[in-house]
This record gives sequence, structure tokens and C-alpha cells, in this order.
Amino acid sequence: MLRMCRTLLIGLGLLMLSGRGIAAEPDAKALELFEKKIRPVLVEKCYSCHSAEAAKNKKLKGGLQLDTRQGLLTGGETGPAIVPGKPAEGTLLNALRYTTDLKMPPTTKLADSVVADFEAWIKAGAVDPRDGKTSVATAGIDWEFARKHWAFQSPKKYPAPAVKQVGWSQNGIDAFVLAALEKRGIQPAKPADKRTLLRRASFDLIGLPPTPQELEAFLADESPNAFATVLDRLLASPHYGERWGRYWLDVSRYAEDKALAFPTPRPHAYQYRDWVVQAFNSDMPYDRFLRLQLAGDMVKEPVDDYFLKLAGLGFQGLGAEYHKGSVAEQVKADELDDRIDTLSRGLLGLTVACARCHDHKFDPIPTRDYYSLAAAYKGSDLNELFLAPNDVVEIRRKWEAKLKELEAAANQYLVDQGRVLGKTALVYVRKYLLVAWQLVASKKHKVEVNTAEIIKRERLDPYFVARWTKIIEASTKAKPALPALKNWLTIAQEAVDSAKPTANSIAVPESLQKATDQLAEKIRDALAVHDMAGGKEKKPALTPRQDELLKAIWLGGGNTPFAPPANEALALLPEAAKKQHASLLDTVAKHKQAEIPQLPKAHGISGGGQAMKINVRGKVDSLGEPAPPGFLRILDSQISKPSEKPAFTRLDLADAVCSADNPLTARVMVNRIWQHHFGRGIVGTPSNFGLSGEAPTHPKLLDTLAVRFVETGWSIKWLHREIMLSATYQQSSQHSPTSAEIDPENHYLWRFAPHRLDVEAWRDAILSASGRLDAKLAGPSLSLLEATHVRRTIYSRISRIDPDKLLVMFDFPDANVSSEKRGATTIPQQQLFVLNSDFMLRSAKAFSVIIEKSSTKGEDRVAWAYRLAFGRVPTAREQAIGAAFLRSEGEKKMGSPTALEQFAQALLASNEFTWVD
Amino acid sequence: MQTRREMLARMGTGLGITGLASVLNESGSAAPLGSAANPLALKAPHYKPRIKHIIHLYMNGGPSQVDTFDPKPALKTHEGKRPDMIAGLKTENTTLGLKPSPFNFPKCGKSGLEISELFKETSRHADEMCVIRSMYTDVPNHEPSMFMMNSGHLQALRPSYGSWLLYGLGTENQNLPGYVVLCPGLPVNGAANWGNRFLPGVYQGCHLNLPVDFSPKDVIPHLENKGLSAAAQRNQLDLLQQMNAIHQEERKAEAPLDARIASFEMAFRMQTAAPEAFDWKSEPASVQDLYKGTDGKMNYFGSSCMIARRLVERGVRVVQIYSGAGQPWDTHGANDAQHRQLCGATDKPIAALLTDLKRLGLLDETLVLWGGEFGRTPASQGGDGRDHNHWGFSAWLAGGGIKGGMAYGATDEFGYRATEKRVHVHDLHATMLHLMGLDHEKLIYRYGGRDHRLTDVSGVVLKDILA
Repeated sequence: MLRMCRTLLIGLGLLMLSGRGIAAEPDAKALELFEKKIRPVLVEKCYSCHSAEAAKNKKLKGGLQLDTRQGLLTGGETGPAIVPGKPAEGTLLNALRYTTDLKMPPTTKLADSVVADFEAWIKAGAVDPRDGKTSVATAGIDWEFARKHWAFQSPKKYPAPAVKQVGWSQNGIDAFVLAALEKRGIQPAKPADKRTLLRRASFDLIGLPPTPQELEAFLADESPNAFATVLDRLLASPHYGERWGRYWLDVSRYAEDKALAFPTPRPHAYQYRDWVVQAFNSDMPYDRFLRLQLAGDMVKEPVDDYFLKLAGLGFQGLGAEYHKGSVAEQVKADELDDRIDTLSRGLLGLTVACARCHDHKFDPIPTRDYYSLAAAYKGSDLNELFLAPNDVVEIRRKWEAKLKELEAAANQYLVDQGRVLGKTALVYVRKYLLVAWQLVASKKHKVEVNTAEIIKRERLDPYFVARWTKIIEASTKAKPALPALKNWLTIAQEAVDSAKPTANSIAVPESLQKATDQLAEKIRDALAVHDMAGGKEKKPALTPRQDELLKAIWLGGGNTPFAPPANEALALLPEAAKKQHASLLDTVAKHKQAEIPQLPKAHGISGGGQAMKINVRGKVDSLGEPAPPGFLRILDSQISKPSEKPAFTRLDLADAVCSADNPLTARVMVNRIWQHHFGRGIVGTPSNFGLSGEAPTHPKLLDTLAVRFVETGWSIKWLHREIMLSATYQQSSQHSPTSAEIDPENHYLWRFAPHRLDVEAWRDAILSASGRLDAKLAGPSLSLLEATHVRRTIYSRISRIDPDKLLVMFDFPDANVSSEKRGATTIPQQQLFVLNSDFMLRSAKAFSVIIEKSSTKGEDRVAWAYRLAFGRVPTAREQAIGAAFLRSEGEKKMGSPTALEQFAQALLASNEFTWVD
Repeated sequence: MQTRREMLARMGTGLGITGLASVLNESGSAAPLGSAANPLALKAPHYKPRIKHIIHLYMNGGPSQVDTFDPKPALKTHEGKRPDMIAGLKTENTTLGLKPSPFNFPKCGKSGLEISELFKETSRHADEMCVIRSMYTDVPNHEPSMFMMNSGHLQALRPSYGSWLLYGLGTENQNLPGYVVLCPGLPVNGAANWGNRFLPGVYQGCHLNLPVDFSPKDVIPHLENKGLSAAAQRNQLDLLQQMNAIHQEERKAEAPLDARIASFEMAFRMQTAAPEAFDWKSEPASVQDLYKGTDGKMNYFGSSCMIARRLVERGVRVVQIYSGAGQPWDTHGANDAQHRQLCGATDKPIAALLTDLKRLGLLDETLVLWGGEFGRTPASQGGDGRDHNHWGFSAWLAGGGIKGGMAYGATDEFGYRATEKRVHVHDLHATMLHLMGLDHEKLIYRYGGRDHRLTDVSGVVLKDILA
């Protein structure tokens, strides 16, 4: 870091020399302007944030220094502050004028006259006698020097170093490790015993304990290849992908919901999870693995396996989506940042997101490069993709459209037929209105009338009478149920209120009679116009009022009284029409029988590749210079040829990431795999290989493995074998005080680092030991809150908003961000789960049934239980303690667990169960 | 049944030093464990702290400052108008003209601090309260602003301040979680609000969803064994610890094994300690009455305030009480009616909390913080609502180290934008840490190759509000 700053300074020094050459000889008048009007303002208003002094106090803002002439010319993050002679250029004047987003000084605008002074000064050439060097670098990166950082150099293969204990090494890894130990005077641990090794390897590769049969087979196999045979078996297991796929899901911040305010599930998320598991199981070459995740939709291969081709896009498609509101652009920039962060830390081991608002403080990643890279994602959309070829999607879409059409036709038939009925009634609209009014008025004044008889007498259809009654009743003066009939409804309402009923009748007042006649006549006229045949003559048009009227009572939808809705029309239809409708429904049913199956979907991404401008300080409304689309410059020269293309697509991004010349991609993945075997990577900061990350403990080993990884076709299974067949991996976990004194954290691998199982392996092991595990692969996720969820933990629902409490309690990573490693904290809530949860009690019970069946004798049961739980024979002491507990009475309360159940639970709860040596 | 001590005697040297010390510690208070084994053990602050606990009354959704703690008479004279100064202040939605508050702001206490009549009970404590009227934050959306208020960053990338405090100071009571979050259901952002992020998981907030009538035995998940009595479970635990001791004989150097052995003992004690701590119904009726709502009934917020008092009394470091699930204060419509209702439900419990803390001498060592993730617009949204407003809002503090009876900073004449002595959330955080005896520039954690702070590269301690 210090070294880098120094070179930057040197670079800047050169710049200033050339700057000096340009400066004209200042004349006295110009000098006076500066001294009287400019300098005092700069000192008083600007220096507190923009000077060497401010820089020293870490108060420098925007990388801009105004206490030297050069500082003004070079400018800060937003570009040069002034361009002498050109007031229109540079950022200073606009900032003083408060005309752009950048307003300076931030608290109060300077007086207009002062701003005018600045303008005059710049116009006159910005004469500035001040000298002195700016102490901060703003624009200069010495690329050549920056590339000297180990991680930016291409990895090379190194010969095995010389060691003293020549017989110790088992394969290419060991000499590197042993040499480092010998250099420090540390002795490696003895080899682990076979039982320990099998348990370790089994949890390591498939996340499940070995069965007693597997243990016996391994102990019986005395061939030198015995362990290699075990590895072959484990690597061929479909459970391997479940174990190692999950590690990748940590990196890819896999979650099954968006990041909105409330849980918004992504229903097809599991497809990505299953894709990752399958990719590991099939040992998909790592470069292809990345290529498909970044640009599966754009690569040529595979052609017709749409799951393989597209489901990996969930790497991006399951990224954060936030609430937009009025700041959609800024929020979208945050979403883009989530993708850049996951991409750069996850795949490249670089913290590129640091450069979103300012040049990276440690690494050679200027803000410009952030926006160059982000172009790959700019304009992309996260969406649901069909996992099927376009023509199949098209067939399904057509089928869906046809279904919609047929259903609509059947529905429309009912509507049309209903209108036909409505029109028959419409002719008697006057009667309908008056009868309906009479019924409403009778009801209001509690006059007993025989409704059915009246309707029958007047030869009306009770259905339409009922509809009119409802409309009159639902109307108020302020809100008529049919606005087009406002007048009539108002009069009708008033008439209801003022009606003078006799014992068994209500007379229609004259005013209403009149209004009804008028309305009926208008309707009749409108209907006549409507019915006039078009013929050759142009059909006479309805007046707007007529049109409105017909729509309101007959031709409209919803509340229209003479237009029965489809669901009500069916009952009203004559038999023939009913038959006709049934045949239409039949057509729908037949179409449904010929259903094109629902197509699977996955969450993916489409588009992108739009060039961006620098967002000054990460603000979307403060655009700076254009950022030429492309890859990170620090990596670019290493990659075959710098792209001259105007666009930078996701495919270009995939090419750049997966290029065998990229110095980071292979190293980063090798280090991740190494970390999950040893508990710590060769680089201790697996997502940060930059200058602020940790240096590798075994740089040559890392490089050699990275090169060989690529040479073997980016095979992750090769890497597992290479690591696990090493003497380094096969060491015992025995602690050594002497070694620990020299290397307390075992960075140099003087033993295998023992560790607690992570939550997945621990929960799965409990299910496995108790015989409850449902080993089914793949498919939609289950909630861990469901008692019936006895599948492997990887099949549990993962949420950003409402993460499962069991997972969170046991250090499962926050799915909001890419995670590089898991913690291993110990909190009492975990132990409460172990002691009291239904999950544990149920598992203990199931386990106790297995133990019970093994023998009738307490001692034998203890022995069998130890074999199942720990894969070993208990000592005499353990046997005695266990048997004594089984003889104890246990609790006599109804429903209390038996002594055997309690014993079974203690085994599952024990440290030994969750510990891997 | 064997006693614990007998069991330990029989286990001989099975436990490592730290584990033994922890198991022997019966009180559960003070620092029972070496920090290697127990990351929650008490740690020394940077300097003498003014307070030990924080109770954060989190009015999620964003209360309206001009209806609660920031009186703006100019809204009446400019009702319905849109002054030029509003033009550039973009909020989530489109707003209409200025909408005056229908509520009165009487002068309260000796100080004469003006507080809305909606907080009639709370305002009796005016002389203990410092209202910051010039709060501001960065974005007018709930999610980022919630993250900012909780973690000092707009995205879900940084640990919550509660996690930082546990990391920096540990906690006094090892039998209770050190950072308790009370919310019925989940607020916006869910559990990400109190996440530990890159800090160890032990520092995450412990969210408890406690309706008024919860059973203290269910307060923390899995607190009760449904099959075994305490004595029988002790017996089973003794068996388990014997197994663990034997397992550890060959592995004396492995600290995580020690920690887990000790943790089982803590869990066992927690089964008794936690129900006791949360059992607010054991308080005398006179105390319970204090916390009831104006309707004379105990509501969720009242019982939560009482629990918070009981928790800080027992040494819990941070208690956050969310006003409710989702975003109760998000009054885009019917702002006045909703404020009446929300204040009605919380006013008396808040006053009770202050009274009760004072009565027990706990107010001196506790900071009570009231506020939302932002405020609301003085202009109306849709006539009767108010939109989000991050440009300016109010929060208040009371308790140890706080100067009471004062208003700090100010918004413009309409209450839109913080103008005088502007206080960013970072400054609030810096001040909270300061009160806890921590220098916000020195409380750092190295992750991913660089040092991180709660306040990032900002934050100024508000010296003027400190007593």
C-alpha cells in the first residue's frame, strides 16, 4: 500500500513538471486579482475540506485540493476544477453557481459578485502564483507497478521444493507444505487412523457420516489404494453435489425471495440450486460452470438441453431486487451493484464494488473500471425464463391463447344470448320501471303486495324486475346506481319517499308516470335507430345521449339491467341455446385434454451490455465521463487481446472471466476448494485477493494447483482427489503445543484442523443416524418449520427477508450478500435446540428404536449406539456409564422419554457427534 | 440424582480451564468466561461509559415530525401552498400542498419544550427529553432507511449497531440474549435489520415475537423440554457432559469444545432465567397499570416496554421495540387518524417506561431512543396523508448522559428539511456509541481485507446534547 502511494506520487511529480512549462508569466494585475479576490475565498471557504492540511487530517473531500495551482488543474473525482481561460469547462464554477448537483460551499452559496470574480479570474487565465505539490493522487495509477501484486501475475507451475523428510510426501502438494513447515522448524502430525480418515472424508465430500458397513469395508481393505477407492465412491455419490453445491450457493448468495419490503418468493429458485448440484455431480469444467451462469442464454452450447443451458443464470437472476419508489434509477444502480459485488468477489476475489463511488483505496481499480465492467449488466432485466426451446414455448403459448379464446367464446355466447332476452324485455321498459318502483315503494312502506302475482299479471320476467328493483334501491340522490338514468332515479326516489300507500296498493304519482313515459320514449327512439338496417345507406348514428342510454340499460356490462351477466344468463336461456352452450364447453374440455404440458421455468437474466457513464460518487444523477465498456484494466492486458468492441456483453464478460489467462479465476476457486477441506484457504481472505487481502501462506502451491487445475480441464473432482490423497490432508488432528507455539493458527498445516460440522452436515447426520433421512434429490424447497421436512438441509427454503431461525442460529450466511466463509459461533440457543426441540426429540426417539432392536442387553445396545453415532467401539468406561444410565428409571411421567431415548439424544447432542477430527 | 459439583468432581480434569470456570460460575453475571471461549463476556469500553443499555423505541414506517415533535405554525399560514423550496426535495411519491397539523403543541415541563398533544403522557417527561429536530437520512424508501438506522449503511452489508455493541462491550447477563428485538411479526427488511453480517453470529439480534399474552416458557424457542422435569433433564445433561468430558480428554486444546460444554450449562440456566425475566405479569398491579394503553388495556407495545425495563434491569445490552410488523407509521393516507391511534397505543407505555426506569434508578444507565427510519412530508399526499421524508425528521433521546428539556437543531420553517445543526444517522450512532463508552472511530472490525466501522467514514458525536 505504502509502496503504491509512493509511485503514484512519482507519477504525479512528472505531471507537474510538464504543467509548470505551460504556465504563463503572471502579470501584476492578474496577480492582484488572485491575491485580493480569489485566494482569501479559497482559504476561508474551501481549504477546510480541500487542502493538504485537510488531507493530513483525513478530511479531504472528493479527492480535490485547492491549495495548489496543480490541485485546481488536476481536479478531483469529478475531473479538473478549472481550465484556464475557459470558464465553461471545469467543475469549480458550476459548483459555486449552485447550478449542478455539486453545490459548493455546501452550506451557503457564495455571493454572486464573488462567483463573478472567479469567472473573471478563470477567463483571464487563472493566474495562480502558488506552488507546492498536491499530496494525494487522484487520477494516476501506475499500471505497471500495480501489476506486480502477486494476484495480478499469471500463475506458474513450480517444481516441488527440496525437503529433508523425503519419505513424507504422498503427492505434488506435500513438498510445498512440508518445506514451509521445515522452514519454521515444525513437525507435521502423524497420519490419521483409518476410522478418523473415513469419517473426515465422508463428511468432507458428501456431508454425511459413513455407515458401519462402509467403515468395515474400508478397514478390511488393506490395499494401498483403499483410500482412493473410498474417494471414488464418494465422488460418484449424488450426495457429493449436495455438499459442494451448497458451498457455491454461499458464494452466489442464493435466496428464494426478492429483497423487497415483504417476502416476495421466487417460485422457481430451486432450479438454480439443482443446476448447481448437478453441475458439481457431473464435474462440469469450472470455466463452463461460470460461462453458463454468466451467459448461458448467449453461449452456443448446449443447444437443446434448456435446463443445463439456462437454469444456471439464476446466479444473476436470483440477485437482489429492491423497492423502487421515486428513486428507481438509484435503486437499480444498487441492484447492479449487488451483481458486480457477487461477480467480482465471488469469481475474481476482487472487491470491485468499493470503486462504485471512488477509486479503490487499495487496488488498481478506478471508478471508471467499475462502470466499464458494469456495462455488461446495464440494461439487463431479471426475469423468468422457460426451460424449453422457443418453438415449444410458442406451441404452449398458442395452446394457452386458444384456450383463452375458446373459454371467451363460450362466455360471450352466454352474454349475447342474455342480451337477446334482454332486448325482448327492453320493449316493455315502461312496465318494468313502474312495477319495480311499486315493489320498492311497497317494501319501504311495508305494504303487503303479492310480487309474483303482479309480475305474472304484467307478463314480465321476474329476473329483470329483480334487477331493476335492486337498482332503484341502491340509488341515492348523490349516487344513482345508473348515472345515465340520474333524472328518472331521482324522481323515483322522491316518489318512494312521498308515496301515500293504501292498505294493499301504492299508486304511481303523476310526476313519475310522466318521467317514465318520457324515458321509455327516449329508449324506444334509441332502439329504433340502433335497429335500423345499414344496407347501402350509411347507418344513421346514435346521438351520444342515445348511445349512453342504451349502454346503461342494455348494451353495457356489469350493472346493466337488461344485460344478464354470463353466469346468470345460462339459467334464463331456452333449451336450444343451453345445448349450444354445452357444445361450446365441450370444445373447451377437448382442448384442455390436449394440453401441452406446463413448461418449467427458472429465474434468469436477459439483455445488458449498455455502455455507462461514471456515476460521480455513485450518484445516478451526477454523471461524469463515459466509461468505455470492458473488463477491469488491471486484468485486461493479461487477457488475450483488449476488446475494441463498443459493447461489453455478458458473453464478453464470461470470456474475460473464464479466459485461461485470467490470473484470478482459477486461483480463487482452487483456494475456495482448499478452504473447505482445511478450514482455511491458502489465501485467508477467499473473496479478496487484492492488496488489502491476506497474502497466500503457500503462494507457489496455490499457483501450481491453479495451473494444473486449468490443465486438467478445470476439473474440481481432480482437485479433491489431489488434495485428499496428500499426506497433508491425511494428517491426524492431534494438537501439538510445540507446533502451536510457532504457528498457533495452523496456517502452515502441521495438523488437520479439527472442526465442528456446519449446520447442514450436522442436521443431515442426525437424520441419517436416526434413520429418518429422506435422501431424495432435487425439487422445490421445504420449510424447516415443517416437522415432515426430513430431506437434506440444502432443500430448505432460503429467505433474504425472513431467514430460517435454525439456520441463522448455526451460522448460516446472510443471503443478502455473497459469503466467503462461515463462522462457528456457540450460543446457548443452539443448545436449547439440541436439548428441547421437537426435531431432536423425534430424532432421538427414532434412533432409540434402532438401538433397541439391536439387542436386549444394555451393554450391547450401548456398543451398537456408539457404532452408529460415532463409528467406533465404546471404551469400557463409556460402556459402563451408558449401561448405568439405561438401567436408571428415567422419568415416570406419562409421555416422558425413556432412558434409552434420553441416552440416544445425548449421543446425538454430544460434542463428538458434531466434531470432525 | 447427582449434584453438579459431584459430576464435576467425577469428570476430573475433563474440562479445560475456561470451561471449568464457566461451569462453576453459578450466578451467570459478570464475566464468567475467558473471551476466547465466550465472545459475549464483558469487555472494557474505551472510556468511562455514561450508559450501559439502550432501549430503542423504533417507530417503523416513519412518524410525522410536524405532528409529534416539531411544531410548525407556518404550515397553517401556508396551507395548501407549495413553496419553491419544496421543488427540489424529491420524496417517494408526488405530494400536494402543505398540510398543517391538526394537533396542538403545548409547552411542557419547566423547559417549555413543545410536544404534540398526541404525546400528553410522554411529555410529562419533557425535562428529561432531548428532541433532535434536525435528523436526516439519504433515501426516501423504507428498506434502505431501515438499514441505515440499524446498521449505518443503505444496503444489507453491515452489522446492526446492536451487534456492534455486543462485539465491543459484551453483555452483563450470560443467561439472556444480549440484544433483544421485540416485534410482533417482522418489520420491513425482516431479520436483516438486526443481522450480524460479517461479525460472528453470536452478535446477532434475538428476535422475539411476543403477543401480549405470550407464555414466558415459550419466550425463546425451545426453552422448555416437553417431556422432562428439570431434575430429570439435569440428569440427562450430566450424562451428556460426561460424554463430552471423555471426548475432550484427548482434545484439551480445542476451545470450541470448551465453549459448547459451557454453552449447555448456560442453556440449562436460561430455561429458568429467561421465563423469569420475561414474565411481566409478575410485576405488581400498580406497575402493570402504568404500562396500559389509554383504553385501560395492556397492548403489545405496553408489555414490550415493561419487558424492556425488566431486561435492562437484568443486564441486557440492547432492546429494540418495533412499533409493529410491517410499517405501522407509514401514513400515506389518513395521517391524522393513524397518528392519533398509534400515539394513543404508545404514549402511555412510553411514559411508563421512563417513569419506571427512573423509579428503579435505571434511567441513569439507560438510553431511551425514540424515532423512525425517517419522517413524513409537511405537504400532504392525496389530501389526508403524508409521504416519506428523509430530508428532515425528529427523534428524541432520554436517559443517562443526555441533557433533558431541550430541542436540538431545526428544520426549515415548514419542517421539510433539516437546516440547523443537521444530524445524520451516522452522528446519532456516533453519539450512542460515545454514551456507551466507545469511540466510534476506534470500534473497528477487520473483514474482507479492510477495517469497518458502524459510522463508516462519517459520524460526529453530538457534544451539545450531552449532560
